[in-house]
Amino acid sequence: MAGLELLSDQGYRLDGRKAAELRKVQARMGVFAQADGSAYIEQGNTKALAVVYGPHEVRGSRSKTLHDRAVINCQYSMATFSTAERKRRPHGDRKSTEMSLHLKQTFEAAVLTNLYPRSQIDIYVKILQSDGGNYSACVNAATLAVVDAGIPMRDYVCACTAGFVDETPLADLCHAEESGGGTSLALALLPRGGHIALLQMDARLHQDHLETLMEAAMTACKGVSKVLDEVVRQHLQEVSALTGE
Amino acid sequence: MIKTEKVLHLKSSRGRKVRVVREHYLREHVPCYSSLCQAQCANEGKVLSGEVTHYVMPDAGVARDFMEILEFREIQGIVFTQTACQAVQHSRGRRQYNRLRSLLKDPRHHCILFANEFQEYSYCPREKGEPQDKWQTRCVYHAAVWYHDHLAGLKPVVMITEDQNAVAEYSSLNCGVYVLCTQEYLQTFWPELQAALELYCSIAQSLQEKGSEGTEREYTEHLPAEVLEAGIKSGRYIQGTLNVNKHRAQHEAFVRFEGSSNKSSELNSDVLVCGGKNRNRAVHGDMVAVELLPKGEWRGRTTALTEGQGEEKGDETQSQPMATGRVVGILQRNWRDYVVTFPPKEETQSQSRNSQRILGTPWDQRIPKIRISTQQADKLQDHRVIVRLDSWDSTSLYPNGHSVRVLGRAGELETEVQTILIENCIHVPPFSEAQLGEMPVSSPESPWSVDPAEVITRRDLRQTHLVFSVDPRGCEDVDDTLSIRSLPPGPRGERLELGVHIADVTHFVKEGSLTDLEARARATTYYLADRRYDMLPAVLSADLCSLLGGVDRYAMSVMWDLDAQTLAVNTVWYGRTLIQSSYQLYYELAQALLNGEEAEVPELGTIRDAKLAQLTQALETLTHVARQLRAQRDKGGALELEGVEVRAQLDEDRNITALVPRQPLEVHETVAECMIYANHWVARKIQESFPQQALLRHHPPPRQEFFNQLQDSARARGFTIDTRSNKALADSLDRAVDPRDPLVNRLLRVMATMAMSNALYFSTGACPVDQYYHYGLALDRYTHFTSPIRRYADMIVHRLLTAAIAMEKGAGPAKALASNKELEEVAQQINNKNRAAQHAQKVSTELFQCLYFRDKDPETDERCVADAVIYTIRANGMLVFIPQYGLKGAVYLKNREGQVVSERQDGGCDWQTGSLQRYLDHITTTTAVGTSTFNLFQHITVRISVQPSRCHSDTIRLEVVSNRPHQAPETQVQTSQPQGARGRSQLVQEVVRQAEEASQQAEEKRGRASKLSTEEREFRQSKCPNLYSLLEEVRELALLDLAACGAGGGGLGAAAQACATSA
Repeated sequence: MAGLELLSDQGYRLDGRKAAELRKVQARMGVFAQADGSAYIEQGNTKALAVVYGPHEVRGSRSKTLHDRAVINCQYSMATFSTAERKRRPHGDRKSTEMSLHLKQTFEAAVLTNLYPRSQIDIYVKILQSDGGNYSACVNAATLAVVDAGIPMRDYVCACTAGFVDETPLADLCHAEESGGGTSLALALLPRGGHIALLQMDARLHQDHLETLMEAAMTACKGVSKVLDEVVRQHLQEVSALTGE
Repeated sequence: MIKTEKVLHLKSSRGRKVRVVREHYLREHVPCYSSLCQAQCANEGKVLSGEVTHYVMPDAGVARDFMEILEFREIQGIVFTQTACQAVQHSRGRRQYNRLRSLLKDPRHHCILFANEFQEYSYCPREKGEPQDKWQTRCVYHAAVWYHDHLAGLKPVVMITEDQNAVAEYSSLNCGVYVLCTQEYLQTFWPELQAALELYCSIAQSLQEKGSEGTEREYTEHLPAEVLEAGIKSGRYIQGTLNVNKHRAQHEAFVRFEGSSNKSSELNSDVLVCGGKNRNRAVHGDMVAVELLPKGEWRGRTTALTEGQGEEKGDETQSQPMATGRVVGILQRNWRDYVVTFPPKEETQSQSRNSQRILGTPWDQRIPKIRISTQQADKLQDHRVIVRLDSWDSTSLYPNGHSVRVLGRAGELETEVQTILIENCIHVPPFSEAQLGEMPVSSPESPWSVDPAEVITRRDLRQTHLVFSVDPRGCEDVDDTLSIRSLPPGPRGERLELGVHIADVTHFVKEGSLTDLEARARATTYYLADRRYDMLPAVLSADLCSLLGGVDRYAMSVMWDLDAQTLAVNTVWYGRTLIQSSYQLYYELAQALLNGEEAEVPELGTIRDAKLAQLTQALETLTHVARQLRAQRDKGGALELEGVEVRAQLDEDRNITALVPRQPLEVHETVAECMIYANHWVARKIQESFPQQALLRHHPPPRQEFFNQLQDSARARGFTIDTRSNKALADSLDRAVDPRDPLVNRLLRVMATMAMSNALYFSTGACPVDQYYHYGLALDRYTHFTSPIRRYADMIVHRLLTAAIAMEKGAGPAKALASNKELEEVAQQINNKNRAAQHAQKVSTELFQCLYFRDKDPETDERCVADAVIYTIRANGMLVFIPQYGLKGAVYLKNREGQVVSERQDGGCDWQTGSLQRYLDHITTTTAVGTSTFNLFQHITVRISVQPSRCHSDTIRLEVVSNRPHQAPETQVQTSQPQGARGRSQLVQEVVRQAEEASQQAEEKRGRASKLSTEEREFRQSKCPNLYSLLEEVRELALLDLAACGAGGGGLGAAAQACATSA
């Protein structure tokens, strides 16, 4: 069988999107009452749940305490049923650890940690279904959860992936596109200032193309931020309607 | 940011029992690519016109199996659905799919792709338990209904399918959408397109036959693709292209590696694949994976010469055992169209009484016989037919194929020429109406004239410069002209201005136009022995782009401001110009002027001394400049290889009347040198402007081991050839002259040429800078710029140069230039076409040689006995070159009965039982009568006869008559050279005449051959490319494929031949 054609001559991708189009994003905030903040997001078929506890006192060893800002603790895991083949180890493997670290870096850049010295913020993210772009779904879910928890941030952190096929950058890759070979770049952006919170790419790409690829990823991130903003505003309206103000 | 309407769909594919869920986005606006669209679809690019009577939508099955029918350009208004395209991609593989893609891109084909599965209303999800083909048919039908409604019912849509149930189910559901089966469709809508219907029947039959295969296994099964891939990665299997030995097609094939997949250093040569079982259904050209056999089973390659269809014998002479393997799988089939000869009746009957299957023998010896199912076996016996391969199952001894088109009866000139074209994948249909419609009008009634707007933008050289062209006599497609004048002295002394003005073809042929696409597909003008197929329509190549004398023409110029003494370049000017060539000279005339002889320049009519002096002065300066340029290149190590020996002389009707030996005139070199200089400077310019995407031409240094034969042969005569660099080679070839026999040097040069690799076009982004070097010309950068009328590469270079000039002026290019990748693809295509063109030319010459000798009785006819020179010794014979006819071939000293040639007292030879002994520089036969010796470079006498062959091309056979030089009869006491030339010209001429006579005698219809040549006369264009190009081609060494060298029996001296035939 011939390999998959990631981008047809007419400019359609495998799932019928054009090169710059995102997958459908749906999100809800405040899905758990018991946590300080929580959110659920669907980016296409990638589904993620984020829960935030804190800020609270540093648990465990006191030595981790920072005197000028809060400690951010991230944990990433994937449900055993999230992939096509059952996953043996839901968390703690090398990939998850790396992802946790990336999340931590991302949110250290976005959350105003210096407001909460000597305290800790926990962010737990779980992938319920994986269809490419796990990192970006996690970041977006966690952002909503942090907003839900009422922790001040510089800006939304929006993340999106971008790939490169036939000299054309593709936004928001799905699993088939990610695994079909080729480059995949993950970018987390603070859209208002245009600051990059995290940029990750582990494939070969010609230097000349990096600029266009990043440009595409940033545009995609800005698209995501619009959606997130809408979700937050809608959530706020609902909540305020409930509390009767 | 476009937010599309989205419905989420589940698509489970149970490939490896994994349930995969994929999203599927639908949208309302999917372009329909029809000009009748009422809904303002965003139709970009190719659009179906509303002119056709209906649109046709093939379903998945038709697209999969009957693509060839849809490739007919006559069938218009084809709407391919995405469903059908995906079916092709999944079931037929990448190759077929790419063909479909290029079909969709090609503006000459009237077809488009409608992405029905992404359209909200035409998409239908697959239901649970629904078979795939059912679902695909349903999808296509829904798409057809949508398409019909979308166009507001303006155009009926016909869906064609092979599924009778579908016809019954859908045909009456909607008016305006018809469902037909393919055969019915072709009969109803295209009754005049008989070829399509025939092709349909032939494919349908072979599909039908496929089902009823025997079960007896003839070959081992191929391994699955995953296993092969893993095996290649681990080094267990070796990946490469299968190359069948032309002379032992049944037994020997070689696999040439690609890349460095194997790490074991012992395997640096090819892998031998012996016999049909080991070859396991691989066909010449396929990409295969081979497994090495244990070392004990390794065999050597056969070094003995074999006679055409000689039977194998047990005691073969073999070389050292080499790596031997067997094919375990085929990675990529590389099947093309093959010309096959149908067997005569008596054979067919014995072959297959029970079925309608025929075993046809391909023209190419390397291809196995092909089984064809046909009803027309009786009608087609002894005809040549184009056949495509369909499949080759492990249960079948031969591959299955179907016939596509009938070429004609074997042995007729037209058939044979068509065969040559098809076998080299050359397609030269006449230019279509649409293409000719793009051409500017130029007729006696409304002559073409210079556009005033162009006059402003171009530099006008009509008054200021003395422009002239030098070409062979009678040449009418003049693509290069020259000018030279002295400039006012500058600060550093006297200055000269040398100008090379090339026809501005790209002004007339816009990028992406139909003519441009056609030219790109052809890539070059094809010269066969008796005819020519132009790359551009005649109105351009013979008129508007030809820089004729006395008329205004557009040109692309390069002008150098040179120091008159040192020839150092001060400045170079590139740009578009308007010129008027004052003199259209021919070589002899120009040389006569240079020598100060009395000569009549036609343009001057009555001789006006001042003008003549001016022209002579210009020529003299030019010669002086060229001499110095040549000297500069010689210092760098430029090679002079086997040069052009003959040129064509044309009569009033532009027919070749004779090929006369070229007087090695200096003016040839002068013109050639200027062109090389122009090419070089243009190469520099475009490479500097576009370091990633310029089209250059390089000539890689040859591999040293290819020189072994040359060095061995030279040693036999006591010469040493130093091949370490091009300079050393050029010098040592110059020294290797035998004063008694000028042929020795010529043959050595031919052998050197054979060792060379081919010069190739490439894109600068695809090659490191140190590989830009041109070995033969000793230039660091080189390209083709000077013949845009007959080479597509030159047109690309013209466009690049135009863009470079525009960039210099600050304006961006009007259109994005081809990227490195695209350019590299085009370069590859041009390289392939050039190779095909050369090969076709060579084969067509051989064809004419055979036709010439076919009617001569070798025993009595004087012309069949000739002088030959031995140039290579083989195990059971030797290879000889016959200067008189420019022929080369094998002479056997040992026949099938084991007899050898022995020499009689009077010098004649006959067959005797005896033995044969081969040495490095001679070969001896020992019989009861005595021994006779044949030395390298010895002159012997041979008799030429033709070995007829029904299925393949006829071959020339040579026999030793005597091992002394041929005593030419009194009438032919001339030097062998001019005589040879005459012989060749007569040969072509005579064969053409015979063919014409035969065809005229035959029915009216057959008179096409003669008509064709009169048409050619009407084009009023020379049959030969200009001499500069020939010179250059020889210089460029783009002469013959290396396969010929390796094959042994093939052709030495193809170099000489290529030159002579293109003249």
